[in-house]
Amino acid sequence: MPSSPESSRTVPPGALRTPVLGAFLEGWRRVFAAPVVVVSVLAATFLFALPMAALLRGSIAAHLGSSLEADAAATGWNAGWAAEFEAQAKGLERTFTFEILGFGGTMATLSRFLDNESLNPTLVIAIGAYITLWVFLSGGILDRLARGRPVRTSAFFSACGTYFVRFLRLAVIVGSAYWWLFSWLHPFLFQTLYNRWTRDMTDERDALALRGALYLVFLVALGLVSLVADYAKVRAVVEDRRSMISALLASIRFIRRRFFRTTGLYLLNIFAVIVILRIWLSAAPSATAAPWLALLVAQVYLLVRLWAKLAFMASETVFFQGELAHAQYTAAPEPVWPDSPSAEGLDNLARRP
Amino acid sequence: MVAAALAHLSVLEPLPSASQNPPARSPGNASYRIRAVLDPATHHILATGTLAWRNISRATVNELRFHLYWNAWRDATSSWMREQALAGNRGLARRPAEDFGGIDIGTLAIAGENLVNRARFIAPDDGNTDDRTVLAVPLQKPVAPGETVEVELGWTARVPRTFARTGRIGNYYFVAQWFPKIGVVTEDGWNAHQFHAATEFFADFGEYDVTVTVPRGWVVGATGKLVSTADGNPGGVQHRFVQADVHDFAWTASPDFIERRERFEEPGLPPVEMRLLLQPEHARQADRHFKATRAALKYYGTWFGAYPYEQITVVDPVTIFNPASQGESTGGMEYPTLFTAGTRLWAPTLGTQPESVTVHEAGHQFWYGIVATNEFEDAWMDEGLNTYSTARVLEAAFPNQFAATARYFGGLAGWAYPDVRWSRAIDGNRLNAFRPVASFENQATPTWKYWPGSAGAITYNKTALWLATLERTIGWNATRAILATYFRAGAFRHPTPREFFALASEVMGQNLDWFFDAVHRSSATFDYAVAQVTSAPAAGGFTHTVVVRRIGDGVFPITVRVTCEGTVRLLNWDGADRWKAFEVLDTAPITKVEVDPDRVLLLDVNYTNNSWTARPRAAEAASKWAMRWLNWAQELLLTYAFFA
Repeated sequence: MPSSPESSRTVPPGALRTPVLGAFLEGWRRVFAAPVVVVSVLAATFLFALPMAALLRGSIAAHLGSSLEADAAATGWNAGWAAEFEAQAKGLERTFTFEILGFGGTMATLSRFLDNESLNPTLVIAIGAYITLWVFLSGGILDRLARGRPVRTSAFFSACGTYFVRFLRLAVIVGSAYWWLFSWLHPFLFQTLYNRWTRDMTDERDALALRGALYLVFLVALGLVSLVADYAKVRAVVEDRRSMISALLASIRFIRRRFFRTTGLYLLNIFAVIVILRIWLSAAPSATAAPWLALLVAQVYLLVRLWAKLAFMASETVFFQGELAHAQYTAAPEPVWPDSPSAEGLDNLARRP
Repeated sequence: MVAAALAHLSVLEPLPSASQNPPARSPGNASYRIRAVLDPATHHILATGTLAWRNISRATVNELRFHLYWNAWRDATSSWMREQALAGNRGLARRPAEDFGGIDIGTLAIAGENLVNRARFIAPDDGNTDDRTVLAVPLQKPVAPGETVEVELGWTARVPRTFARTGRIGNYYFVAQWFPKIGVVTEDGWNAHQFHAATEFFADFGEYDVTVTVPRGWVVGATGKLVSTADGNPGGVQHRFVQADVHDFAWTASPDFIERRERFEEPGLPPVEMRLLLQPEHARQADRHFKATRAALKYYGTWFGAYPYEQITVVDPVTIFNPASQGESTGGMEYPTLFTAGTRLWAPTLGTQPESVTVHEAGHQFWYGIVATNEFEDAWMDEGLNTYSTARVLEAAFPNQFAATARYFGGLAGWAYPDVRWSRAIDGNRLNAFRPVASFENQATPTWKYWPGSAGAITYNKTALWLATLERTIGWNATRAILATYFRAGAFRHPTPREFFALASEVMGQNLDWFFDAVHRSSATFDYAVAQVTSAPAAGGFTHTVVVRRIGDGVFPITVRVTCEGTVRLLNWDGADRWKAFEVLDTAPITKVEVDPDRVLLLDVNYTNNSWTARPRAAEAASKWAMRWLNWAQELLLTYAFFA
C-alpha cells in the first residue's frame, strides 16, 4: 500500500486549505472540459433504458392497434385509453402511467426513493445493472477527472478495468451501509418514530414539519455514507489504493479533519442539483409537446444532471488533490499504461525543479 | 328514443321551485330527545333520552329493534370488522385496545319497566353470534298500527379512535350513530340489518331535540339548528340543537375549529345559512368549501328540488395523513343538515379535493337526507345517484378546472398533472375503478351481501355510469325529469328501487325495463369491439364488410358509424348476438369504423377496441410515449444511481 501523503506530511505549505467554492468551480470546469465523458455516460444511460422502452413501445402499439384512440394518444395524453392500457398491463407495462409526465415524474421518483417504496421488479433489475455499470465506469471517470486532461479511450477503459474489482469490493461494503440505512434506519424513522409521533397529531402542518425533519435525518445519514464512499473512491484512484478498507478509513480521516469543508462542498453540489431540478420544473415539456422536442429537452436536462453528478465527483477529486498537494501531478506528460495516476503524479513531482 | 323522450317532456309538470309549496314533510314517527355529556378525559359520552316511536306499518309490532352501531368497533369479531378483513383491511383488527369503542345500554324502559335484561343481540344477516350491532327488545305490550310507544333510554358510549369517519382523534370528536337507533318497520317486518363494512344506514324520520355538553371553549356543530347554549354547568357548556324531519343526528366538537359563516342565496331557491367548521391549517380553503357547497345547493336545488332546511353545517375533519397510527379515514360523510368534507394542507387548485367531496356530501342532503332510501339493501340509490349528480355539478360549476393529482412524500405533498384533464364521463363517474370489478355483482343484490372489496365500485361507480348512459340515451332533460320527479315523490320517504324504475318508465312514457335489466339486474360486463374490416372490389366501387363483436356478456343496442372517405353511415344493431356483419357498398375506400361513436354505453369496459381506422397512428403514439417513458426511465436510473 502506498504511503498516504496525508500521513507522511509531505504536503507543501500553502496548499493546505483548498477553497470549497474553488474546488466546486474547478470540478465543473473539468467536466466541461470532458464533454466526451458526459455525453458517453448519457448515451450509456440512454442505451441502457432503450430496450425497455422498445418493449413498451411494442406493447403500446399492439394495444392501440388500428384504434382511433391512437389519434388522441399521438397528440396528447389520452387518459381514457391510458387507463385501459393500465388495466391490462403486465410487468414493465405497469410503469406506464401519467406519473411519467413532466416534473411530476421527477417528484414521483424522488418520493418513491425517499419513502423506500417497492419498485417494479424489471426496474429493480435494471437499476441493479445500471449501478454495476456505474461501478465499472467510476474508475475511468475519476481517473479522467483527476488528471484534468483528455486520455485515450483505451486508457479510460483500462482505468475502468483496473478499479472495477476494487470498486465492486467497495460497493459491497458501502452497499451494506446503504442496505442498513434502508432496511433499519428508514423503518425506524418513518414507521416507528413517525407512527409514534403522529398518533395524536391533528394538524397536518406538524406532520409536514416532522416528516421533513425525518427526511433530513435520513438524507444526512445517506449523505454521510455517500461522502465517505466518494472520498474512498477518490483516494483509491488518486493514490492507487488496492485495499478498499484502507481507502474507506483514509476517507473517514480525510473528512474528519476537514468536516465543514467537505460537507460544505457536498452541500454546494447538492444545491447545484436542486437548482437544476428547479429549472426542470419550469422547462419540463407538456404531454402535447412534439415528441422530438420533448426528447431533446429531456436529454438536455439529463445531460445537465449527469454533468452535475460528474462535477460532484470532480469537485471532490479537486478538493482532495488540492488538500494533499497533488494538484500538480495531473499535468503532462501523457501517461503510458500501466502507469497509474499516482505513479504519474509522483513522476511529475520528481521532475519539479 | 331521444326524440320520444323529449316529446314526452313537453307534457311533464314543471320542476318544483321555491315559489311552490315545499314537498310534504315526513311521517316523523321516530323522534328523540337526548341529553348527552362528552367527557374528553375518558372519551366517554353519558347520555339519557326518550324515543317516541310510532308504528306506521299495518302490522302489530311485538318487539323493538335497535341499531347499536358502535358495537361494530368493540372488538375484531363483529361482522363489520370481519368484512373489513375480507376486503383486505386486516390492520384494523390489530389496532390497540384503546382505539376501540362501543355502546352499553343501562336503561331501556317502557312505562317505567326496564327491559334491558330481556333484550338480546341478534344477527339476522349472517348469524354471527359475536355481532352486537342489533338489539332486539321483546315488548310486554305489542304496539298496534298507528300507536306510539315512548322509550326511556340511558347509555354510555365509548368514543372509538376513528372508524368509518366516526370517533375521535386528539381533541377532534365526530359523533355519529352514537345512540340506540330504532330500526325501520316495513310491511315485511323489521328492516334492521347488522352493521356491515359495505353499507351505511337506514332510519325513520323524526324530530331530534338534542343537548350536548362539552368543555368550555369547544366549538360544536350538529344536525339541526342551534337553539340555545347554556354555561355554568360543571361539565361544561350545553348546546341544544333541534331539527324536525330528519332521520339521524350527528355532532362534532373540537376546541380547534375555525368557524366561518356565509349565506346561500340563489334566485328561485330558499336561502340557506352555511356554517363551516375548519381545521386551522385549512383556513385558506374556506372559499373552496363554500363555493362547492353553493354549487351543490344551487344545482341539486335547480335540477331536482330545493333544499328544505334553513341551515347546513360543513365540517372539515382532522386529516388522516398516517392511517397506520392515527386511525381510519375521517373523510367525507353525510348526515342530515351536516356533513364532513375533507381536504389536505397541500391541495393543488387543479385537484378535485376538497370540491368533489364537498359537492358529493352536500349532495347527499338530497339523495339520502331527503330521499331516505334503504342503504343496507339499496345503497346504489343514494350513493350511485349522488355520484352521478356530483360529477354533473362538478362539470357545471367548475368547467375545465380539474386535472389528475397524486400525492407524494408520505402523502403530504399533492401534485397536479395538468395534462391529464378530469372528465365527467370517465373520472366523475369513476369508470377506471369500476372496470376491474365490473362483473363482480348483480347490482340488484342487497348491498350488504356484496363482496366488501368491490362493493364501493358496484354501488357508486356502476350506478353513476349507467345513469350517465341513460342520460346519453334519452338526453339530459329527460334524465333530469326522471330524477326530479323521483325526488319529489321520494322526499321524506323511503322509496324502493321498484318505485324508481316504475317512475322512470312513467316519466318517459315507455317501459325502460330493458335498460334496467341490462345495467342493474345483471352482473354482465359490456364490451363491444370492431372485430374485422375487409374490402373487396365491386362494380363501381367496393364492398366493405365490417364485423362487430360482442365480447362481454352484456347486451345493449349499439350504433356503428362507418366512414368511407367523406361518406358517413350510421348502422344500428340490437347488440344481442355475439357478432354482426355489416356490408357497405361505396365508391370510396373505407376509412373509419366506430362502434358506439358517441360513447353512449359508458359501461363498456374497453373502448379502445371500439374503433378501426385505415390510417392508424398507433406507431406514432407508441413512439411518442415510449420516448417519454425512456426519458423517465433514464431519470429513474440516474436518481437511484446517484449515490453509486
